[in-house]
This record gives sequence, structure tokens and C-alpha cells, in this order.
Amino acid sequence: MLGLTGSVNDRLWLFLATLGYLASAGWGLYALSSQRPLANRGAFVLIAIAFVLHTVFLQERGQAIQHCPITNLFETLAFFSWSLVLTYMVVGPAYRMSILGAFTAPVVFLINAFALAAPIDLPGKLPQLGWQLELHATLALLGLGVLGVAAMAGIAYLIQERQLKRHVLTAWFYSLPNVGRLEQVQQRVLILGFVIFSAGTILGFFIPHRGPDDWVKIAWSAAVWCLYAVLVGVLALGRLSHKKTALLSVAGYVFILLTFWGINSLSEAHVFPHEG
Amino acid sequence: MFSRTRARTDLSKMNSPSAHVICGGLTFQEVPVELREKVAFRDGQLPDALAQMRQMLGLREAVLLSTCNRVEYFGATTQPDQAAAAWPDFLRQFHAVSEDFSPLSFQLRGMPCVEHLYSVASGLKSMVIGETEVLGQLKDAYEVACTHGQTGKWLNRLFQSSFAAAKSVRTHTAITRGHVSVGSVSVELAEKIFGDLHACHVMVLGAGDTSEKTARSLLGHGAPSIRVANRTFERAEALAAELGGEAVPWEHWEDRALDVDIMISSTSAPHYVLTRERLEALLQRRARRPLFLIDLAVPRDFEPSINLLDDVFLYDIDDLQSIAQTHLRKRQTEITRSMEILKPHVERYMEWAGRQTGDPNANNVSRGPVQA
Repeated sequence: MLGLTGSVNDRLWLFLATLGYLASAGWGLYALSSQRPLANRGAFVLIAIAFVLHTVFLQERGQAIQHCPITNLFETLAFFSWSLVLTYMVVGPAYRMSILGAFTAPVVFLINAFALAAPIDLPGKLPQLGWQLELHATLALLGLGVLGVAAMAGIAYLIQERQLKRHVLTAWFYSLPNVGRLEQVQQRVLILGFVIFSAGTILGFFIPHRGPDDWVKIAWSAAVWCLYAVLVGVLALGRLSHKKTALLSVAGYVFILLTFWGINSLSEAHVFPHEG
Repeated sequence: MFSRTRARTDLSKMNSPSAHVICGGLTFQEVPVELREKVAFRDGQLPDALAQMRQMLGLREAVLLSTCNRVEYFGATTQPDQAAAAWPDFLRQFHAVSEDFSPLSFQLRGMPCVEHLYSVASGLKSMVIGETEVLGQLKDAYEVACTHGQTGKWLNRLFQSSFAAAKSVRTHTAITRGHVSVGSVSVELAEKIFGDLHACHVMVLGAGDTSEKTARSLLGHGAPSIRVANRTFERAEALAAELGGEAVPWEHWEDRALDVDIMISSTSAPHYVLTRERLEALLQRRARRPLFLIDLAVPRDFEPSINLLDDVFLYDIDDLQSIAQTHLRKRQTEITRSMEILKPHVERYMEWAGRQTGDPNANNVSRGPVQA
């Protein structure tokens, strides 16, 4: 269970961050139900503190291994969840969508809790990443994080839409943004994420590697890229209803969450060329 | 709600420092609109009325509030009984009416007066609990009094702190949340569907009274255009002219509905004006965006299964009224919490008042009602 550094110190930062996300999730749910306009500020402060702790973990781990901390599944999951929070921290305040933290925090908590609990932080030889590989992985993970925020907006949309359809207006109805705004944010975030993910994916083709191509990972990445393309395409062409678009983005992100671990375990592409 | 007592002639509290602030007048709770309308003050009358009232009631400082639900004075004085006795005379004299308003008028002194003003400002004493219009009216009344030199340290402090107290209540409770009329609930729902209404086009089918009010609410919240279709084209023209919109011949309403975002219907048709099948055909021809349908007719104009279509939100009159009632009940449950929030604001004012007069027991003295 020890990190590559053989120290539990950096894992402690992630553990504290995970507790912060749990607290933020609880406060966020309270804020959604309380109908108090300022209640969400507490949840946002908590997620911001957790994000700082999360960043400290990545920085500590990166310094310890002298690489971008995506060298094993534990680090990759931590970076994956961090990219989700990073996108939220940018999109939330910019679009006055801080309430999406109520959906983001529980997801990040679950990812981190799994990463901390599973025996995946295994010591091994340090891969020689190189800037291209680091940039490829960073952009790809950020692209997935952006898709995550689009999915959070999709969840909020589906909840609002359900309340409007059923004529049952709970406290959440007043706490969540209007459906028009949610659609708009989802659309913009998806376009941004698509650009980032595409850049990361394309960069991957130019990275020199040893051994055969990793078709498992390539197929999975292509599937995610297609999902992104379909989402952006139907939004641009207006082919699907807003509800179906929201459902598709949520289903797509759930697919990623459920397969990320398996694909990265099976993948050989990330059996990087080792030093020496 | 805070205690309320009728004005009586008693001088026992005259020397209390807390008797510096008083208020009184007529409210919708005790005075019917037939009487209130006789003594309402127009904006232009307020400066003269203030000066006259201040003199007749023996007030050092004065603010006069006149809304459709209340006509009230706020003052600083050492002679509250004179004010209570002179108030009905002032109303009679100023408005040249013969009614005796003495039994209908109330007066509060000291802390109950402070509590009353803070409650009024917070919308706790409004006919529609939690409405915010009264706060604007209070601000206007205070502004007029200030501009004409009718306020001083007592009322300046009192009113400014009441605005802060009202803001605190609005921020920390749900007292203003949820609309309580069919028109405003429709606007609220439209804003939850579209956000900004400035790009939402409205169509009215049938020229009924409720649909007109609802359309006015939507226009008042930024809807840029309105179209009116009615089987009798002249009625459509009349309503369109009133609303500043466009009349549409009944046989063409579907074609003109392609770029409409909100449709209000209140025809007297005995059958559905818009069936699911017809709407599906219409949706095929229109760009993909939400459609908000408000059915105010009985029997209903829109087939209920329309609500099952994606991006279409259908509400009938029962749905809207049910939401309005729920909101009203929720607002009422917030009153106790609002009063708890007001308490420290009231106490701060009374402590300040005590310091001004050098009477540390100002709070205790002022808590009692005006004596009989």
C-alpha cells in the first residue's frame, strides 16, 4: 500500500482531501435542500480546501518520483479526479454554477476512496515519461474531467426537468439553476472538453513507444472520442432533445467511470518504456 | 406576529426614552379597501401631507407610508398620545372626509413600533407574506421624508436599520421564495425553463382575463413580443392592442407558433385546441428548443399527454394554483424564523436608543403595549 516513494506522507494529503470532498458532498446536499441562498458557499469553501490538499498530494508525489504523477493506477485515478475538480473550480464560479459541487464532490470522493482503498499504489520502476507523454496523458485526463463536469450539469438538468415535468417543485428546484442555463453550460463545456480530449488523443499518436500498439486502450480512447463527437454533434445539429443529450453525457461518464480502472489495468500502452 | 394595540389616551409611558419612536395608522387587516382608498396619499401629496401631519401630530420627525394595503405614520415624539388622538383628525382634514378612523387606527410605541417596522419591511405583515414591493415603498416614503427634512437621528437610524433587517431576513430565509399567484408562478416556471425571458416569444390563444394577466406578467419580466389569436378576430385585435402585441387570425395560429416559446391558452372550446398529434407535427417544423404551455382553460385546451413529449412543459390551471398555495404555506412557516432573525436587529436599535437617552432599561420599558 505504500507509494512509490515508500512513504505514507503524500497519501495522507489525498486522504485529507478525500475527507474534505466527503464533507463538501454532505454540505452540498444540505445546501440543495435548505433553500438558504448562501448555504452553498460553505460547500464551495470545503471543496476548494479539499482541492488544495489534493493538489498538494499531486505535487508531493510528483516531486518524490520526479515525474508527472500518473505512473500507476493510483496516481492516475487521483489525477483523473483532480482534473474533474479543476474543471469544476473553473466552470462553477465562471458560470455561477457552484451548486454543481453538490454532484461533483460525491463522485470525487468515491474515486479517491477507491484509489486509497484498492491495492493499486504499487511500487515499480519509474517510467521515462517525457514531455509528449506527460502532455498527452494530462490533456486526455483533463478532457475526461471536463466531460465529468458536463455530466454533472446533465444530472442537474435531469433533476430539474423531472421536477418541471411532474409539477413537483421541491427545495432542489429553487437551488438548482434553470434548465436553459444548464443546457448552455453543458454545451460549452462539452465543446471545450472535446477540443482538449482530441488534442490529447492526437498527441498520443506521435509518442514513440516500444512494443506492439495497445489496441485495448486505443479502442477505448476511440470510443470515448466518438462519444464526445456524438454529443457535440447532436448539440450542434439539434438532433436530440435536451433530455436525451443530458442522459447521453451522464451515461457516457458513467461508462468511463466503470471502465477506467479495468482498461488501465489491462492496457499495455501504459507499460511505458522503462529507464535502463 | 408582534403585538398590536389600539391607540389609547394614557400618559404613563410619556417619559420613557423608548417612546421616542412611534408608529400608527390603518392596515388592510382591520380596514376595508373602501375606507383605505379614501385616505390613501398620492406621491405628489406626500410632501404637504408630511408637513401637515408632523404639525398636527406633534412629531419631531415623521415618515408617511401610503400603499394599497396600509396608510401608516412613523414618528419621533415625546407626546405619543397627542399623535394618536390627532391622527384621525389629520386624515379627515387632509382628505376632506367625514369618517371616524379612531376605532380603526392603531398605535405602537418603542420596541413594538420597531418590531412592527422591521416586520413590515421584511414583508411579514403583508397581505401576500414575503412580498418585497413594500420594502421599495418604505424606501420611497423614507426618501421623500428625508428629502423634505422631516427625519432626524431617530427615524434615520430606525429606517436604515429596518432595510438591513429586511435584507437579512430575505437572505437567510425562504420568506420571499415561491410565487403565490397564477401569473407570477407562470413567470417563475418560465424563468426556470428559459432563464432570461428577454428572448422568449409569447402567444395567447383566447382572450380571457387570466391569460391576459399571465401574459402581462411575462411581458413585465422581459418577454419581447406577444401574439394573440382568438376565434373572434376583433377581440384578438383589442387584446393585442392592449398588450402591445400582434393579432393573429385563428386559422393561422399554428403557423405563427413556430418560433413561440411560451403559449398561454384560455379558449372556451369544448375540445382540445392542441392535441399531442398536432403538436408533434408542429415540433417537427420548429427548431429544437423548450416549449412552455400554460393551459388556463376549463375544459382544458391542451391534451394532457403533451407533457410526455421531450422539451415540452405543460401546466394547467390546477397545477399553477396548487403551486401557488404550496408557496404560500411555505412562506407562512418561515415567519417564526424571520422573527428570530429580526430580534437582534431590534435589540441593537433599542440599545442604541437607550444610549441616546441614557436609559439602560429602555428595552424593558418599551416592551409593554400602549396602556388602556
